[in-house]
Amino acid sequence: MRSSVLLMFVFVFTICVCKASVRAESSPASEGQPAETPQEEKTPVINKANEEGELKHTVSAQQPDNTRKEDTTPANTTQEDEELQHDDVESEPPLVKDPLQPYNRAIFTFNDKAYHYFIKPIYTGYNSMVPEKARVSVRNFFTNIKMPVRFFNCLFQGKLKGAGTELERFVINSTVGVAGFFDPAKSKFHLEKQERDFGQTLAKHKMNSGIYIVWPFIGPSNVRDTAGLVGDAALNPLTWISYFFLTPLESFGNYSYDTVNDISIDKGQTYESITEPAIDPYIAFQDAYTQNRMKKIKESPDYDKTLDLSN
Amino acid sequence: MNYRKITSALGIGILSLAVISPLLWAGEPGKLLMETIDKGFAILKDPSLKGEEKTLERRQMLWKEISPIFNFDEMSKRALGQHWKSRTPEEKKEFVELFTNIMKDAYIGKTDTYSGEKVVIVSEKQDKNYATVQTKIITNKGTEVSVDYNMLNNPGKWIIYDVIIEGVSLVNNYRSQFNNILIKSSYKELIQKIKAKQS
Repeated sequence: MRSSVLLMFVFVFTICVCKASVRAESSPASEGQPAETPQEEKTPVINKANEEGELKHTVSAQQPDNTRKEDTTPANTTQEDEELQHDDVESEPPLVKDPLQPYNRAIFTFNDKAYHYFIKPIYTGYNSMVPEKARVSVRNFFTNIKMPVRFFNCLFQGKLKGAGTELERFVINSTVGVAGFFDPAKSKFHLEKQERDFGQTLAKHKMNSGIYIVWPFIGPSNVRDTAGLVGDAALNPLTWISYFFLTPLESFGNYSYDTVNDISIDKGQTYESITEPAIDPYIAFQDAYTQNRMKKIKESPDYDKTLDLSN
Repeated sequence: MNYRKITSALGIGILSLAVISPLLWAGEPGKLLMETIDKGFAILKDPSLKGEEKTLERRQMLWKEISPIFNFDEMSKRALGQHWKSRTPEEKKEFVELFTNIMKDAYIGKTDTYSGEKVVIVSEKQDKNYATVQTKIITNKGTEVSVDYNMLNNPGKWIIYDVIIEGVSLVNNYRSQFNNILIKSSYKELIQKIKAKQS
């Protein structure tokens, strides 16, 4: 008896959620679903939206005059919008707040020039001198040192398992991996690096992304991720080593070496593959950054989706 | 009484599983995608097509094998978003052509640096006429890049309408660019910009 009442309740609840979400989806200004929608209720929602999209599809296929048909359909949005929305419920990039665009564009151009005329020649020369295996080892070394950044952010984001993984990785790689130059934790023990940063932590604790900012040399960011950079720097042992033991020039060299080494492995492919085929490289990079950050933030659990849309 | 209930529930469960599972595990979009990718890799690995002097020939062959799985009409439509509807049929045709060229120039060229990357399917979700195939590119350095393919069933044939690399949707990326240009200037200027880029 009790279980059937419970079942009824769940059923009614599901239908309510379905209705609410379908209504929300069909109005254009509501990409952000209510955050309190529980995960397991989402599948039927999408199903239903699909059904509607399909129904309309077949209807309008019979009637070639699309626009007329859409005008007479009182409910929901047009067929095209419905199709556009199909997967965009999740992947639609939020409108980026960019009041500093003139300044940002100038810095973007500067960074682009710096990349092509300064950083690229450096890493090209570096690549010809240092074999790839050595460069990967150097990256492993820096990655291992920066373990506290990932460890603490795992903790801040409530990912205890991730923090444990990072701890294990650190122990294995510092010993068996010869002070972190190798990554046996991944190759032998299949422990994946947990890419957690302070920007994600702030997003998890309901901070808005704020306006878009492009920093010289560092590149695209926003208010939240800038604060994230500062937080990560505070958690980074390299910062403390630099502060106590190195002169400013040495620590700058240290930082640049880490960066150039990173780029040298990637060969700048990420940057160039976004900006080169773009019609407007500035917007292309801004959008790629925003979409990529959204993905990384969503990976952390119970992230409030409405945050990036409502600001 | 209770026994009968349980057995009937079990029966229904097994029956529905038997009906649903072929639909779930058919894996048609994923299979098609992997076949196409394998065909592409076969060309990239072909020793008779290696080397710089063969670049053009190799790119053409790749394009011939890979392009049928993409639906450039759908991609163009989505990339233009809300502005698609107000275009005349001729404009639409021209735009699809231009957008196809953007894709071709941008991404066939990337294959020149192929050095033994592998592609594996991570998961596959199918939802009636829409499907998402999540894949991972594994480079020989062990780096992993997540690439998702959004596909739709175009009566009888699964085709790709969006590619999402590390969370960055290609179509959305171009939509942001086009939207930003169209806010400030006319459609004509957008076309001019694309043409200037391609010449």
